[in-house]
Amino acid sequence: MARELLRRLRSWEGLLFVLLLVVLAYNIARVPNFLTVTNQVNLFQLGIEKAIVVLVMTFVIISGEIDLSVASMMGLSAATAAYLFQSGVPMVVAILVALAVGAGFGLINGYFVAVVGLSSLAVTLAGYVGFRGLARLLVQDNSVGGFPEWFTDLGQKGLVGPLTLSILLFFILAIIGTIVLHFSGLGRLTYVIGNSAAVARYSGVSVVRTRLIIFTMSGFISALAGVLMAARLGAVRASTAEGFELDIITVVLLGGVSIFGGVGSMIGVLLSTYLVLNLRNGLVIAGVTGNTQTGIIGLLLILSVLVPNLANQAREWWRRRQADANARAPAEPVVEPTRSQAASG
Amino acid sequence: MKRRNFVAGIVCAGLLAGNMGFAALAQTPEASPVAGVKTGESVKAMLLPKFLGISVFDQANKGAQEAAKELGSQPPDFVGPTAENSVAGQIEFMTNAPTGGYQVVMLSNNAGEQIAPAAEAAQAAGTKVVTWDSPIPDAKGESFFVAQVDFNETGKVMADMALNILGEQGGEFAILSASPDAANQNAWIAAMQEALKDPKYANLKLLEIVYGDDESEKSYTQAQALISKYPDMKLIMAPTSVGIVSAAKAVQDEGLCDDIKVSGLGAPDEMEAYTLNGCAPEFALWSFVDLGYLTYYASYLLVTGQIEAKDGQTFTAGRMGEYTITKDPTRPDVDALRILMGPFSIYNKDNVKEAAAALKS
Repeated sequence: MARELLRRLRSWEGLLFVLLLVVLAYNIARVPNFLTVTNQVNLFQLGIEKAIVVLVMTFVIISGEIDLSVASMMGLSAATAAYLFQSGVPMVVAILVALAVGAGFGLINGYFVAVVGLSSLAVTLAGYVGFRGLARLLVQDNSVGGFPEWFTDLGQKGLVGPLTLSILLFFILAIIGTIVLHFSGLGRLTYVIGNSAAVARYSGVSVVRTRLIIFTMSGFISALAGVLMAARLGAVRASTAEGFELDIITVVLLGGVSIFGGVGSMIGVLLSTYLVLNLRNGLVIAGVTGNTQTGIIGLLLILSVLVPNLANQAREWWRRRQADANARAPAEPVVEPTRSQAASG
Repeated sequence: MKRRNFVAGIVCAGLLAGNMGFAALAQTPEASPVAGVKTGESVKAMLLPKFLGISVFDQANKGAQEAAKELGSQPPDFVGPTAENSVAGQIEFMTNAPTGGYQVVMLSNNAGEQIAPAAEAAQAAGTKVVTWDSPIPDAKGESFFVAQVDFNETGKVMADMALNILGEQGGEFAILSASPDAANQNAWIAAMQEALKDPKYANLKLLEIVYGDDESEKSYTQAQALISKYPDMKLIMAPTSVGIVSAAKAVQDEGLCDDIKVSGLGAPDEMEAYTLNGCAPEFALWSFVDLGYLTYYASYLLVTGQIEAKDGQTFTAGRMGEYTITKDPTRPDVDALRILMGPFSIYNKDNVKEAAAALKS
């Protein structure tokens, strides 16, 4: 079973890699300056906030949950920082409060999911609406700007060579995320819980603690991304980062993470992140309009979610047919033991 | 595995098909000689409106395409972000323009001063940035601004229309604007507030400024909210072609056209019905076709080195005649250059039908 899983993963990442090469080759062939440092920096910089949240969303989805509130949290943290700054609070303090708000609401999300036992879909849907509502209360219909120069410089200018703070943070977080997910106890727990929470609980595993950590991190990293976006754009509106949650979730799924949890790898997600950034960059440079970009990336993502599921169903159907033939038409369909256990929990 | 290769194939095919579409567009039409201007040089230009899907921007594109054809250049790429993603999307297009080989970006700015770093980077990388319709407020990264009308005059025109509609006794009115990041609307509203200080407008009382982000539905909701919030409101002034239609529709749907009037800046073809039924008795605009035409001409001459972005530079813009680049008097605090188009056209029941028909043809 584990080997089968590994093989599937490896081939999915292989596909992503091939797709990436195709998009890269296509972009390089058509755009002379594609491989320049400037363009590669631009390419990351223009989607960097989503890329950062993708990292933490990987943990959330592998643990078998979902967090729909990330983009609203980005907006809320940006709005919090902007509101406080506008009211005369020093920018550094405003940023720290915004990050604390993110961690705090993340913990509350985690509490309702892990301790109270509500569905994360429902809990974070409330956050999706609620956090955005709070952001609107804070900055109303205004566009709040005029931040200190050091703040916008951090968001827009290279910190180490041409690399901005956001890009550096993304790579640091990607390394930390990979280590934690694949080489730590927390990472192993994330997979175990995602595979079957019931099994994990009966095995004496601290499901509650792991979930609390993951949701708190989700809130915190989203808040960080929101502040970074405020610095990059130099102004905050209540609609900052609106609609980003779906892009973020779909990039994670394209990376080979199963929406049902327990399956996926950071490498796959990083590949899909770079793939989507490249695709978008190529489309913009080719002069493709916003709506068409959304359409093309959407199509890719639909396929990425549908294809593995259809393939799995086909495989299942084939196996069942074989089993049926062997057992000479039993009354009930054959169900795998692990599946029935998960369903009863 | 086979199935996955199949997916890869579909995606690649999609990408290739997309590219062929653009290749087909890129062919250069025959040059026609234009007086006093060297034509025939192909310029790769991007026409970047606030976002797509607004009829006045389509009209500007029509004018720009017409000018490109006259000048024997390849047609400019008319691209833009989605309305929800306007600020980040404009920055994205601007940032990627030099990589894409664009020689000039013609921008109707919807990203306030937030676009300035990207525009400056584009200029540094050799891509000119010319603004039209809506400038970069601090003029950073902007070669010059092609102004549809004088922005101070816009404020006065709006104040005059309000006075005209409400009469001597005046009344309360609200402003329904586009987005709070829209430099042109912000400048017009500020100019109107300045104009209102004149004692002649003493009876006009501004209640509130709300923003519909140039999205029809949001503008409609905002107009409805104004109607319920201010029972004594007599007028909604919307200095945006999207907002004014939404406001007129909201007032009409409430059946309040006799009590609340709508005015502002609108496209005659979209406003015709509301002007004829009395909901929006008077509104103003200029020709967006001409604005696109003039912007393309000035951009082409700038990129081909036939003019410089400096005070006092004159040039001839095809059928529209002679223009001069001057310091922008409406942005006195910054080092900004402007080409002033004009004039305003005021529309009412006497001329709206004709103007609408002209646009539809």
